[in-house]
Amino acid sequence: MAYEEPVTDYDKIVENCTCAFCGSNCDDLDYLVKDNRVVAVRHACRLGASKIMEDEDQRLIVPMIRDETGELVETDWDTALDKAAELIANAVRPLFYGWSETSIECMKKGLKLTEYVGAVIDNQATICHGPTVQAVQNVGYPLMTLGEVKNRADMVVYSGSNPMNAHPRHLSRYTMFPRGWFRPRGRYDRTLVTWDPKFSDTAKMSDIWVPFEENGDYEFVNAIRAVLKGKELKKDVIAGIPKEDIIELTEAMKNVEFGALFFGLGLTHTLSKQRNIDIAIQLVQDLNAYTKWVLLPMRGHFNVNGFNIFLSYEMGFPYGVDFCRGYPRYMIGETTTIDLLNRREPDVFMVIAADPGAHFPGGALAHLTNIPVIQIDIHWGPSTELADVVLPGTFIGVETAGTSYRMDSVPIHMKKAIDPPETCREDEWIVNELYERVKKIKEASK
Amino acid sequence: MKTITLTPKKFSSIALEFDELIPDKVYDWNKEDFEKYEVPIGNSRFPLTDYFDIEIEGSAEGPEEVKMILDGDMGRVKYIGCKMSAGDILVNGDADLQVGAEMTGGSIKVNGNAESYAGREMKGGSLEIMGNVREYCGTSYIGEWRGMSDGIIKVHGNAGKQLADCMSGGEIYVDGGCDILAGIHMTKGYIEIGGDVTRWPAGQMKNGTVVIKGKLGRLLEGFEVEGIYKNPEIHGKQLTGKYIKYKGDIGVNGKGSLWLNAEKNRDLL
Repeated sequence: MAYEEPVTDYDKIVENCTCAFCGSNCDDLDYLVKDNRVVAVRHACRLGASKIMEDEDQRLIVPMIRDETGELVETDWDTALDKAAELIANAVRPLFYGWSETSIECMKKGLKLTEYVGAVIDNQATICHGPTVQAVQNVGYPLMTLGEVKNRADMVVYSGSNPMNAHPRHLSRYTMFPRGWFRPRGRYDRTLVTWDPKFSDTAKMSDIWVPFEENGDYEFVNAIRAVLKGKELKKDVIAGIPKEDIIELTEAMKNVEFGALFFGLGLTHTLSKQRNIDIAIQLVQDLNAYTKWVLLPMRGHFNVNGFNIFLSYEMGFPYGVDFCRGYPRYMIGETTTIDLLNRREPDVFMVIAADPGAHFPGGALAHLTNIPVIQIDIHWGPSTELADVVLPGTFIGVETAGTSYRMDSVPIHMKKAIDPPETCREDEWIVNELYERVKKIKEASK
Repeated sequence: MKTITLTPKKFSSIALEFDELIPDKVYDWNKEDFEKYEVPIGNSRFPLTDYFDIEIEGSAEGPEEVKMILDGDMGRVKYIGCKMSAGDILVNGDADLQVGAEMTGGSIKVNGNAESYAGREMKGGSLEIMGNVREYCGTSYIGEWRGMSDGIIKVHGNAGKQLADCMSGGEIYVDGGCDILAGIHMTKGYIEIGGDVTRWPAGQMKNGTVVIKGKLGRLLEGFEVEGIYKNPEIHGKQLTGKYIKYKGDIGVNGKGSLWLNAEKNRDLL
């Protein structure tokens, strides 16, 4: 990588901003602002910095509606909002998906709209940590804050996740490198373990790498639990790991002072899905008979956890909540986005702060091409190509203040640093405006 | 005896919900009641007559005298027989999600395949599926630790993933094969699988019985051999042939029993 000169040409520094990229929600960033643009970011990782600085070139600036020829044409806010409200008001099975990259304040308005029209509200957990949430409902949540890990942990396990690539500051800010109260020498006082079939960048810097076979997670953890209960292992190799290594690892895990297990989609989305997490949580419960162990999912977007917390608090269910009968219902496979789209049920799809066009399976996307799609987002992406109405929002944490929840469920206020483009509107305002307009249409038709 | 026949005439890709059309609620309905009835579809309700031709014969004093015939493909009709306590339902085609969920009595027969959550949290009665079932047959509600607690489910085809999770009573018979984690977290009850099983049956089971007559792909380390039995009598049923009996799952100090056909699973002997 070429050497880059430090940026010295700026008007002001906005300190202690919160990064709007991954679930680590680093809240120590300094933005260097010139002419109402962020020209440099201090302390952020490359992922966060590039999202904050380099988004502008793909920025959605004005509302758009797809015309008869299939082209998106620019329009004014009134026309675009009326069109979107009309689609929502006349829908029989509307589905509102996304929400993980916007603020809790906006979600609150979104839930009001969902409940009013009898729609389904769902977020990205449906394609990422949904199985985690299900397992937590089954067997509990031995949770901690990242500050506890920083100050206490002497063993950190990453399972099926690669924070060096996906959460680059996770190790340096919270788990491995910082010097904590009980770990004064930082990295030297801690053991890093990676359970991953891949020799990932995190595995490369680990003290112990456990490359169990793909889809072997459940069997591997089951064997550790059996060892903890005093069983002599029968098979020589379990899920690709020699039994001696499993016994050695189990002993090491028993003999630490404070252990933390972090897991990502490598654990949640292999063969046995939520049961992998279920058994990992129970392993942590078992280990607590010997020493202190905790567990945490590595959440992806900066507010994906926030949506689950918000919806659980408001409705009792974490994601995929269906209001079509007037009361909240939640059933994996029935009220979740991908299943609904695969079954070709929704007749209007609203996506806010998400990019299903880039991430959904082909079958689900095929249905999106057949139904009206409303997009509320800040930049152009594959979903814009599917959208019939485009409503440009603002960037939470840069252009608009808001609340988000870090992966360990700590709420964090995200500052406003610069002004949004004049033609864009805040997500919260857009969703509220849709609610008002839908209400007007519904009441007029009564 | 009252026979209610619903013949589909129009397909809706948005699923219809039939939780209000169970014998307990419709036994005293006449034809006008059905014609007046609007069925929930998405966030609205539409006349049932838009989607079905309705025929009624005879009369009934109670739900136990009702026989409902859903004469056609019910692949987009959810909650058939949900929470029913008596009467019979016959589906001459596929059934959608949640067929027989939370039923406490009566019987349902599906002459086709069933989608996921068939017989979820069943508390009694019988559910027979002539084809295959998808995932989570006879399971619990998400987060609930008690699944199916009584009644009988018979599947003549194959069963999907996580059959009967958290089962706390009742019986399940699968003639065909079964995917991963059948009987996970089960605490009581009986599961008999006639065909082959891919992986990890009875993970984290505390009690209950799982019998596998076919070949097992992979067994968990949490199970320990207790012995080999010839023609064992399990759960009041006489099985023929040699069976290996395992106890587990050790991880949860389980006392459940897992029986594997010894002939088909020679590699485990």
